[in-house]
Amino acid sequence: MKGQQLTADKRGTTLINHWQYGVPVTRGPVLTPVLLVLMGIAAIGLGLCAVRFFSPLGPFSSMNSAYAWGIWKTFNVMTLTALGSGPLALGLAAWVFNRQKLHVVMRTALVSGFLFYATGLCALGFDIGRPWNFYSAILPWRWNSESAMLEISICMPLYCFIFLSFEILPLFLERLYYTGNEKSRAFLRHVSPVIRKAYPFAIIGAYVIPLMHQSSLGGLLLLAGTKINPIWQSPVMPLLYLLAAGLCGFAFTIFLLLVVCLRYARVLDAGVLTELANLLSGVCFAFLAVRLVDLVVRGQLHTAFALNGMSWVFLLETSLILAPAIALRFRRVRETPRSLLNMAALACVGGTAYRFIPTSIAYMPPHSTRYFPSAPELLIAAGWISLGTVAFVFAVNYFAVLPGEATAWDHTFRPFGWPHRATPSPLVPAITVESGI
Amino acid sequence: MSVALSRRQAFKVMIGLGGVAVSTVLPKTLSAEEHPAHPVAPPDAIGMLYDSTICTGCKACMPACNEANGLAADSVLSGGIWDMPTGLNAQTKNIIELYQDPHSDEFAFVKKQCMHCLDPACVTGCPFGSLEKSDWGAVTWNSSLCIGCRYCEVACPFEVPQFEWESWNPKIVKCEFCYDQRLKKDLEPACTAACPTGAVIFGKRADLLAKAKDRITNAPGKYYEDRVYGEHEAGGTQVLYLSSVSFQKIGLPKLGTTSLGHYATKVTSLIYKWLSGPILMAGVLGFFIRRNWNRHELERLEHEKETGFPDQL
Repeated sequence: MKGQQLTADKRGTTLINHWQYGVPVTRGPVLTPVLLVLMGIAAIGLGLCAVRFFSPLGPFSSMNSAYAWGIWKTFNVMTLTALGSGPLALGLAAWVFNRQKLHVVMRTALVSGFLFYATGLCALGFDIGRPWNFYSAILPWRWNSESAMLEISICMPLYCFIFLSFEILPLFLERLYYTGNEKSRAFLRHVSPVIRKAYPFAIIGAYVIPLMHQSSLGGLLLLAGTKINPIWQSPVMPLLYLLAAGLCGFAFTIFLLLVVCLRYARVLDAGVLTELANLLSGVCFAFLAVRLVDLVVRGQLHTAFALNGMSWVFLLETSLILAPAIALRFRRVRETPRSLLNMAALACVGGTAYRFIPTSIAYMPPHSTRYFPSAPELLIAAGWISLGTVAFVFAVNYFAVLPGEATAWDHTFRPFGWPHRATPSPLVPAITVESGI
Repeated sequence: MSVALSRRQAFKVMIGLGGVAVSTVLPKTLSAEEHPAHPVAPPDAIGMLYDSTICTGCKACMPACNEANGLAADSVLSGGIWDMPTGLNAQTKNIIELYQDPHSDEFAFVKKQCMHCLDPACVTGCPFGSLEKSDWGAVTWNSSLCIGCRYCEVACPFEVPQFEWESWNPKIVKCEFCYDQRLKKDLEPACTAACPTGAVIFGKRADLLAKAKDRITNAPGKYYEDRVYGEHEAGGTQVLYLSSVSFQKIGLPKLGTTSLGHYATKVTSLIYKWLSGPILMAGVLGFFIRRNWNRHELERLEHEKETGFPDQL
């Protein structure tokens, strides 16, 4: 088996280099009990969304005029799109800084990023009060060009549904190529050169636009002024939000790769993971450096280290980012999957904490009232997250998303509903004569 | 004289000429700042002066406001009998609040409504220009442009805009200086017209500011910090306050003198000027992506020839 593998593909020069190709999961059942539970939560969430469609926000959520933004905005959009910035972070590293190794994990990042953005934007659609006026987004003379909110409300859907969708289009076309009839194959042979021509230009948009709106998410909070605790309120918040997006993007992609490879018994690729770990550590240090310089320049260092309530929150958040930054400098940590998983998880928590705290704990309007999300709010937020998770599991099972050995590819895509074969089948490399998208 | 230019050279010349044009035009447009740190009130700016030491708390302004704006009385607390709001809310654009010190007999009334800032944060943040600075500086809301994002509520340092949480067709409820209802008909706002004691008066902002300063000089030590709240707060507001007790005690937040719009847009307005920042970024990224794409393509063809495995995007 091993000898056959090596003759079939010479791209993997060493045995540690296992990730060569996006390969669908072809074994094991798709509908596991966990997935059914997630689908149940998603169904409850979607049902509540349907209720929200006919109900005003007031009886539904516990938002009030002091805390006008609930978790749909502050968590599902402002926080989770940081985790969904994998395509931005990895894409910049791969295409702009020419880290060729990372191309193989781009699809995992792209699918997870798309799902974070899409579910967040859907949740946002139920959060805004007067959605019927949103058609103004296509009327440029109505735009208030100095508003960060405008930038986000236009760029986020544009990025998610145009540029990011185009970037993952080959994933779907490839499946169509292998499962479709002759006519669709002929069509795809016709369009795939066009897509290849357009690709390097289209992905420029896929990197410039998230750079804009991920920083604008921080820019949003500048107008909140003194309502946000001075440890967080700072003119460099747009830059920090962008760095946190890169940090979470790398961290979450590592975390996701390790978790799903563990789940589907894929071998790991030390080369790619080490590269990602190095980049994550670098972004963590860059983030902390900007944070420190900012605190010193604004003269808020004593507030940050006052060891009172908010200071502890700051210290916890910073240590959650500092720990992986330092730990991942050590080769033994980088190359041990378990510690890499732990450190990536810490960085995810730290990065999302930085994105979530200024809109939640550190958001202190003078006429302070209480806000804790109501049950329907929580269920809708959880529902969209579960829906994203379910969609990711399906994507992994029916499309060539997860990285793997090229020889593991056996092309037997199944239509939906059919159970995966429970018994392992001999791996037959059937790709040798195919020419894909 | 004819000089043969190659296409590349022609492009270079065009870029050079464009650069010269931009470098002459750019400094001029940049100097005209849209959000100065300390905005100057236009000469026709109107205002309100509220003197907490004169107000007797009769609340005559509240039903007058409700009547002028067609708002129903908020009678939840009073058991459906009379208007009894606990603060600005979806049915209350104007309220008289009482501050009482629990340990001494110090007390003061305060009138709350939109401050009509000179450079309002809500207007800066409103994505489709639903909130805007209208004639005479009144900050008004346009229902046909609002998407209900509630950024105005997050941005307003005085927590004035109120969202109709209970309505299927929610509106942003805030004092609009009676712009449509009275100002356009040459009438003063309902609250100042109704005030029997002259605690809140209407006029040009400049006149009111002078009047307030006169009151301070005529009665030294009477007013808190001998200053007018709203002269410089958040870049200056068109509603001015005089009080004998601390402004913070009667619920007016302690704010810097810089306008929030300036703070929030001073960097981004440079980056997004004519989208120059994003376009520049697209150029730089595009250059590297194109170069690495070509490298990637070469490698791909080589691999495909060697192994027969097609590349995946």
